[in-house]
Amino acid sequence: MTEYAPGSPESSREDWPSDEVARLLARVTRPGRYTGGEFNVRVKPGASPRIVLSYPDAYEIGISNPALQILYTYLNDATPAAAERAYCPWPDMAVLMRAGGVPLWTLETMAPVAGCDLWGFTLPHELTYTNVLEMLDLAGVPLHAEDRGEGDPILLGGGPAVTNPWPLAPYFDAFFMGEVEHRLDAIVDALEAPTRARRVTALAAVPGVWLPGVSCAPAVRQVFMGFSSTPPVLRPVVPVMEAVHDRVVVEVMRGCTAGCRFCQAGMWYRPVRERPVDLVVEAADRLLTETGCDEVSLISLSSCDYSGIEEALVQVRALRPGLRVSLPSLRIDSAADNLARFAAGQHGSITLAPEAGTQRLRDTINKGIDEAQFEEAVRATFEGGFTGLKLYYMIGLPGETDEDVAGIARMAGTAARLAKQIGRGRARLSVSVSSYVPKPHTAFQLEPFAGGETLSRRQRLLREAMPRNVRVSFHDVAASMVEATLAHGGPGSDVLVEEAWRRGARFDGWSEHFAFAAWQTAADVSGMVLGESQLGGGGEAPWQVAVDSGIDRTFLDGELLKARCGALTEDCREGVCAACGVCGYGVEMEVLG
Amino acid sequence: MTWWLLRFSRSGSARYLSHLDTARALQRTFARAGVPIALSQGMRPKPRISLPLPLPVGAAGYGELAVVEVPDETPGRSAALRALHAAAPPGLVPDTIVVAGERRPRPQPCEAEYICSLDGDAGALTAAVERYAKEEHTIYERVSPKGSRTLDLKDYVVPTAIEAVAGEAKIRFTIHYREDGAARPQEFVDLIARWAGVEPAMRGLERLRIAWKGLPSGLDPGAGRSESQ
Repeated sequence: MTEYAPGSPESSREDWPSDEVARLLARVTRPGRYTGGEFNVRVKPGASPRIVLSYPDAYEIGISNPALQILYTYLNDATPAAAERAYCPWPDMAVLMRAGGVPLWTLETMAPVAGCDLWGFTLPHELTYTNVLEMLDLAGVPLHAEDRGEGDPILLGGGPAVTNPWPLAPYFDAFFMGEVEHRLDAIVDALEAPTRARRVTALAAVPGVWLPGVSCAPAVRQVFMGFSSTPPVLRPVVPVMEAVHDRVVVEVMRGCTAGCRFCQAGMWYRPVRERPVDLVVEAADRLLTETGCDEVSLISLSSCDYSGIEEALVQVRALRPGLRVSLPSLRIDSAADNLARFAAGQHGSITLAPEAGTQRLRDTINKGIDEAQFEEAVRATFEGGFTGLKLYYMIGLPGETDEDVAGIARMAGTAARLAKQIGRGRARLSVSVSSYVPKPHTAFQLEPFAGGETLSRRQRLLREAMPRNVRVSFHDVAASMVEATLAHGGPGSDVLVEEAWRRGARFDGWSEHFAFAAWQTAADVSGMVLGESQLGGGGEAPWQVAVDSGIDRTFLDGELLKARCGALTEDCREGVCAACGVCGYGVEMEVLG
Repeated sequence: MTWWLLRFSRSGSARYLSHLDTARALQRTFARAGVPIALSQGMRPKPRISLPLPLPVGAAGYGELAVVEVPDETPGRSAALRALHAAAPPGLVPDTIVVAGERRPRPQPCEAEYICSLDGDAGALTAAVERYAKEEHTIYERVSPKGSRTLDLKDYVVPTAIEAVAGEAKIRFTIHYREDGAARPQEFVDLIARWAGVEPAMRGLERLRIAWKGLPSGLDPGAGRSESQ
């Protein structure tokens, strides 16, 4: 492997990029999105197989995705493959690429994506689906898998959105379900087969792979049981242009067993696996050197639940004077006890997620925090030094009433009062409210979406009830309707995605680009109603034929019943197994002793 | 504390960085190289590094200057330069370090020499450059969110050569920096492109050389390169 040696001719090639690409770069916003050249970028000329990794969003979003960094590092450093990257071109670039007939290229070699052996997509959520089609079209790769031939890449989809692969099924040759780290060698080996058809067949034999229209059994979600014993990525690609996250990332724990009934990640990434503190601290030290960053983020689905959090915080903070350490995804119940300590010496803002406005609804979603814990957490936030607090809520949860929505405003009022008392005028408070979309493999997976009308009415209700000194923001209801439709989409829902893309839908997660009219027309054409579930009767979910998440259906049904009567389920880390079905056959919880 | 003048070049993929991103990439390079940058005082200390003459997005530059304050215990220039060289991202190449002493140097650009490539009819582009040379005044209105300003490009920009071949032209020009500021390369190119009837999108812009004033005597870190190499 050759890296761009600093100062070498490759690092400052004056014929770079080609005239053809340079003409495009001169006409677009933020051309640095398309040129690579980051710290720690890898280039392996002549290596085989050639794999392109993509995140179907803008560069500055995709470069911050930890999953892609894991794949990129492992494939380049531990296998014979060359892994390159491509992100979704912004609309101004897409127009020029089409006009100039310039196909999508990779950041590492500027070579056309279409010439690779395998094109892997990390699919984060439903609102990126049209970007996948946009990238295929810009690359000159046939949209439908059935139209691809010997010279075309094999498309492999992975990531959280493959929990229901149907809306993208015809566009991918294969999907990988779950965590892929320990299957990468097998995937690379499968690409050695002499023909495309045999490569796809070999890929189908890799555990966790599901081939739309071919596999006759659901793929079993893969769990990486080497997580605790292996270090995180130590030489990540570090962007040279501004990205959404600009910090060292150390994944301290994977999985969460808090059991929030709405949370797909909490189910999909079970069981909990923790990295030893010394591995975390060593990684943070090395990463600070490799990246030149001045902030470390200890990430997981709930970092306050990481058993070694206090020790890790102390030791990581001691690595460099003045080092900032951030903990995203704090659950209030676990954070309340520790926030004062975590916040010491920190500044900036923090997000806490009560999720729902009343005790009844919080019990329904198994978020058993009470008002006293909430007040304690808010108090600890401002006393600890944070000057900004964002509260995150959802509306449209199953069983929600107007009274629950009014409860959000009441809690915000309490927080505003505490901010004024403790924050001495410097404290800022904001509330972010998203619309709940029932997701596969959760207790609420078959529950109906609240609907656009209900959500809009509740947004109005909440806006009117919210204290004047609290800033509140809402997610776009129309976008949630699209997301809900796709989350429950069955076979045939791909037509909706393609029709919307053909009508100009792109970057649907970006409010300035979201084109509801395109989706509305696409829904009419494809015979679907936005916001309405495609699920038939009988309690069967379409994704069950594609993916076996390992979560016992009886457990999910039981959780739904408990939700309806407001009963809580204890976190299995605290002793009582909830019989979710994940553990067994070599898969088990790994927490620090 | 000691002030350093770092001369570096920015080309290849790095030429598409913005001014702020270039400063950030240099700061990262110092951190990766283990060469500390002094921090400013106050609640939110910031690294003391500045680039006195921003380079436009998309432009390569071969005599760029960064002014950096480093703690006294920082390793010597040669060791630091080697470490910076090894730690830099592709296209960003540290070239020379000059120690400027304890007082912050405030280099001011006098003039900078550019070369740009424009697509279009070579004859029309040549005629446009010749017309520019003959005009007594060329008024350009600079519009920005802060308002508009009228400037005479002839006060600032002197084209020095044009090399026209089929379908394109390479125009070499010098921008002079005065008390009241300077014209921007794109403004001159816009004008030439308008007169030639071609699109003003530069396929390539290179800043070949910068002449500085305000540097302590004998501390000129180098003037870039005078010829396209």
